Amino acid sequence: MVTSTAHRVDEDTRQKAPAPHHAEVAVSQKQRHWRESLAGYGFLAPWLVGFFGLTLGPMLYSLYLSFTRYNLFQPPQWIGFDNYIRLFTDDPNFTQSVKITLIYVLVGTPIKLAAALGVAMLLNYRDRGAGFFRSSFYAPSLIGASVSVAIVWRAMFSADGPVDNTLSIFGITIGGWVGNVALVVPMMILLAVWQFGAPMVIFLAGLKQVPRELYEAADMDGAGPVKKFRSITLPMLSSVVFFNLLLELIGAFQVFSSAYIISNGTGGPAGMTNFYTLYLYKRAFSDGQMGYASAMAWVLLIVVAIIAFVLFRTSKSWVHYQGENR
Amino acid sequence: MVNVHKRRRFMAVVALTAASGIALSACSSGSDADPSASGSSGGGEAASGEDVTLDFAFWGNDVRADMYTQSIDLFMEEYPNITVNSTFLDYPAFWEKRQTEAAGGGLPDVMQFDYSYLRQYSENGLLLDLAPYLGNEIATDGLSEQILGIGVVGDQTTGIATSTNAWGMYTNPQLLESAGVEEFGGGSWDDYKSWVAEVTEASGGEVFGGTDYTGRIQNFEVQLRAEGKNLFNEDGTPGFDEARLAEFWESGADMRGEDGSGISQQKLEEIYPVSGFGSALTASELTWDNFGAGYLGELGESYTELGLVAPPVTVEGAKDLYLKPSMLHSVSASTEHPAEAAMLVDFLVNSPEVGAIFGTNRGLPASTTMQEGMTFEGLDAQIRDYEESVADRLGDAPPVPLVGYGTLEEKFRVLGTELGFGTVTVEDAVSQFFSEMDVVLNS
Repeated sequence: MVTSTAHRVDEDTRQKAPAPHHAEVAVSQKQRHWRESLAGYGFLAPWLVGFFGLTLGPMLYSLYLSFTRYNLFQPPQWIGFDNYIRLFTDDPNFTQSVKITLIYVLVGTPIKLAAALGVAMLLNYRDRGAGFFRSSFYAPSLIGASVSVAIVWRAMFSADGPVDNTLSIFGITIGGWVGNVALVVPMMILLAVWQFGAPMVIFLAGLKQVPRELYEAADMDGAGPVKKFRSITLPMLSSVVFFNLLLELIGAFQVFSSAYIISNGTGGPAGMTNFYTLYLYKRAFSDGQMGYASAMAWVLLIVVAIIAFVLFRTSKSWVHYQGENR
Repeated sequence: MVNVHKRRRFMAVVALTAASGIALSACSSGSDADPSASGSSGGGEAASGEDVTLDFAFWGNDVRADMYTQSIDLFMEEYPNITVNSTFLDYPAFWEKRQTEAAGGGLPDVMQFDYSYLRQYSENGLLLDLAPYLGNEIATDGLSEQILGIGVVGDQTTGIATSTNAWGMYTNPQLLESAGVEEFGGGSWDDYKSWVAEVTEASGGEVFGGTDYTGRIQNFEVQLRAEGKNLFNEDGTPGFDEARLAEFWESGADMRGEDGSGISQQKLEEIYPVSGFGSALTASELTWDNFGAGYLGELGESYTELGLVAPPVTVEGAKDLYLKPSMLHSVSASTEHPAEAAMLVDFLVNSPEVGAIFGTNRGLPASTTMQEGMTFEGLDAQIRDYEESVADRLGDAPPVPLVGYGTLEEKFRVLGTELGFGTVTVEDAVSQFFSEMDVVLNS
């Protein structure tokens, strides 16, 4: 596969190289157009191969698997909608996992976006040192997905860790957060919020696009900072807010690695870090219930798609694109 | 225009470079695979003497990893043409990895194997039948018929037991001394619970007498066996009903939670992956008797000895305990070097030097050849004596665990932790376990 693609690209360019001198006039517009699109597809080919072979193919296969019982050892066995029925009627772990995932998404995402916007506005306020602060606030997002940060997080929030010790100075003795059923989800949300760098950079870019004149005019009219934020910044940023909200929601639904590492892959304590994708993973790879896990994956896909659809629909009423008369 | 042209040419160069890079790397991986394939695929059962590399995987902690490293160094000294790459993980992660590898056809050549997964992997043809190597690459002088029989599934020998172990109870003499409580002197499960409460109270809550034992399926099995039942019968049906499981889990209620007499689940979560006993936070732990060396390693240098006594008695005079293969060694059916793999298995199962290194870390060695290398001092002697002392409680081994037993064992453990946190009631836990059993037993 790979080599044939390489060949095709090779031939394309070899044919083309001598072409301009002789053929430029002879080649009709149509032929040229055809040739160009062929070249286009040639260049696209590696990506297309990847998309069909590594994304679409496995996705459709998992759709098929979601209607089967498949333990990796024996061939899949068709069972109709049994997996889906079991998910919604007979699996308390599923209910628990959906619950904590929704808490994580619905609480974590707004806080994260608010933090990102707040810091972006502070950075936008002054230019001096902005580059340094921008980089340092962005750094956690770069390394955030890595294993080491989750390990550090676990150490920080365990009993006698830095967080516990600092809080005990103020007379608050909580002990470890990691093993605490009530605090482990807030801790996970904190970890997510701390990685606000990516939306922050996008917010910052959006803030730079807001015309200064608007603020100057508002100043003339005697508007305060709150009024300016609500009437200028937010409307002008709405498209960026929409973009960030969509991406962060989708990302939050897929939280996995931090939960896996902080709970040592168990989803503990008492299933409080058993987020949707971690539960899916355990069903697939610890329990060998691939069909069931596939059904879970499709439920997640559909839920995320519905949320995205609803967001797009409502966006017409609150997202304002510059240069458009709405 | 010029710009567009330039950019296009530049892109073409980039694309070409990338494509040729991929093609080149494809070539090189092809040539990598070639010699190894031709090296051993000639139906060669016997070792070729050529340079070969074996992958070896085991589960365990740092203590065991050290022992394996030393043993494998000895092996490579003895067979300079064989290189062994070993990897290790903790128990749950080990099986997750094997499962994906099994589906992809890439199991390591040699694996430490667990009894509870042996049936599943054997019945799916993933493990090599070692019968042709018995008496050749794998010496059988030290292995009794009974020991060899442990690794037989269907009519194939897919695993060689390294060692056997029995269920027992470790106690921490230093903690007991500072609490001023006598060693557990035997008795019923209720006696054990009062003993645990006594230790916890005597230490002022600094340490705990033990852990809620109802979190482990083996304690349930011991109780069922005492009543003349199995955990799971040969046909895969459970030997207990909802009421019996509920009774078992309820019996641990006093030991659970913040005010329980046992260590709280929250503490256990925080110190994981070290155990409560290994952190010197609990004075007793019901477990397999080969865990002693691991505990000593976790407890550190101030500990040289542990107590090892028999588990509480459910029914007087019952044969509730049994000798279990603590682990086996198996070879992947897809290995390219079956003979060398068998030689490694032989070395790890039979070599007296390896016996000297491991002691009883993997259990009491199954091979008498290996036992010759051991001096049976301290803990090793203690374990041997322990197994002798409980001889009249040792009964026949239960049926080879059913397919999916590992999943159920883990489910049992997780439900135990949830009971510990109080996030699930006994009633709900029972119904969850039975619905899980339904899924596992019907697939």
